[in-house]
Amino acid sequence: MTAINDTLHITREPPKWRTHSKPFWDATREKKLILQYDKEVGKYQFFPRPTSIFTGKRRNLEWREVSGKGEVYSFTVVHRARPPFQGHEPFFIAVVRLKEDVQVMGNMVNCSLEQMKVGLPVKPYWAPLSNGTHLLMFEPDVG
Amino acid sequence: MGMKDTAIVGFAETKIVEKSDRDIWELGADILESLLDSTGFEKQEIDGLILSSSMTGSGNCFWSQTTADQLALEVDFCQTVDIGGCSPTAALARAAIAIDAGLCTTVLCLYADTQAAENNQRPRSFQAEWTVPQGVLGPPTSFGFISSRYDHQFGLDLRALGKLAVAQRDGALLNDLACEKLRKPITVDDYINSRMIADPVRLLDSVMVCDGASGLLVTSKKNAARKGLDKIVVPIGYGERTTYRASESIVDVTDTGHRVAGERAFKQAGLKPSDIASFHPYDDFIIAILLQMEMLGFCKQGEGAAFIREHEFNHLGDLPLNTGGGQISAGQVGLAGGGTNLVEAVRQLFGAGGKRQVKNTKNALVTGIGGIPYARNWSSSVVMILTPNA
Repeated sequence: MTAINDTLHITREPPKWRTHSKPFWDATREKKLILQYDKEVGKYQFFPRPTSIFTGKRRNLEWREVSGKGEVYSFTVVHRARPPFQGHEPFFIAVVRLKEDVQVMGNMVNCSLEQMKVGLPVKPYWAPLSNGTHLLMFEPDVG
Repeated sequence: MGMKDTAIVGFAETKIVEKSDRDIWELGADILESLLDSTGFEKQEIDGLILSSSMTGSGNCFWSQTTADQLALEVDFCQTVDIGGCSPTAALARAAIAIDAGLCTTVLCLYADTQAAENNQRPRSFQAEWTVPQGVLGPPTSFGFISSRYDHQFGLDLRALGKLAVAQRDGALLNDLACEKLRKPITVDDYINSRMIADPVRLLDSVMVCDGASGLLVTSKKNAARKGLDKIVVPIGYGERTTYRASESIVDVTDTGHRVAGERAFKQAGLKPSDIASFHPYDDFIIAILLQMEMLGFCKQGEGAAFIREHEFNHLGDLPLNTGGGQISAGQVGLAGGGTNLVEAVRQLFGAGGKRQVKNTKNALVTGIGGIPYARNWSSSVVMILTPNA
């Protein structure tokens, strides 16, 4: 098993939200994942945008809670990073395709190099941030 | 077609350096002086100024205006093009539009950046909220997952990618203006064994941020003829696409905006990929070249490695590619780096390639890549086809 840093001990600044992303960050306080859903076309979108990426009509957007389960679409093993990640390489950044058909980027926890692959089933891992919100990361969904 | 009535009458480049000890406007002045000398134009004849994106310039929201003032250019049209690595080629397209619309007659397209010495960028983007907290380094991370996905779908052939890296490096060895640090021979094994940056992206896949400037002097064909300039280069096809598949939540990262930008440029030019005499693709990472070969139709999607194995890419090869080293082996002049690919194409069509002159100067294909969006490939793709004396 090749050790890959899970990045959990790295202190990160809580991201600054925008007016159209605040509901997302508020929901993470309770480790809930909510996505914007366009009720006219019946599709989800990520990351939070000021309008529907499908129709341009923001009035059709609503927030819906989802499981956050999905599979790895692609990934990279980071060997060179900037502070505060510098010196903590290697670590994963995965692009996860959620069951709701959106692509989300996140670090991977509890995952070895040997285990990591495109198609790996994953579930959310919520890393606490200093302002009470949580950062969405992922871990293998082993059943 | 208005664009075809445009003539590039001159090109200029500074030496690319790791970190400039001279001001960005001084580099711009070098380009201006060089273009005036090579074309015989007077400064007063320049009535348009179009700038590429610039990390140094991003600290000044009056960038084109202030640069015009610094160079004492009295112009009837000025703007900065803000689509990143696409902006030098996009600036040429906009120069053609402005000239065709009668807004101005002669445009200085200036591509200068001193990102290494003076990065004034304060991004207002998605990154601080959505990618910085996950340790994303920016482009290397994105090209890491683009490469992994490509590997999953089609297989990643490191020896084929290495062949491109070596061909470009051989070009830089023949290019006195390439960054000196990069002018050392490499082998395919050196490429494969270079250290990992964002697995599977290696050091020798990646550009190094440098400082420098390049530029073109662009006027109407009629004006070029009036001035007795018979050596000109003409844009005959152009395509541009920003935020490809923006209305879709899930995308294939191996499918890029060059597919549509390329179709448009080839159709406008009346050419097909097999007609292309030399190819100057934007090269921030080696795999971007392979993806562009596929998207532009040099080969089918997923068959880039086979295409690379079957062709030779140095200046004497059957498809000369980034003959001055490209950005990966000449150095990336910040957000102005696309000027390196573009100016090399123009240089070759002028027959000014010197030790690296290509034989077939019937045309040249130039591309741009600009901006890294969230969990996709890139934000802007441009494609331009140039011919001499069209």
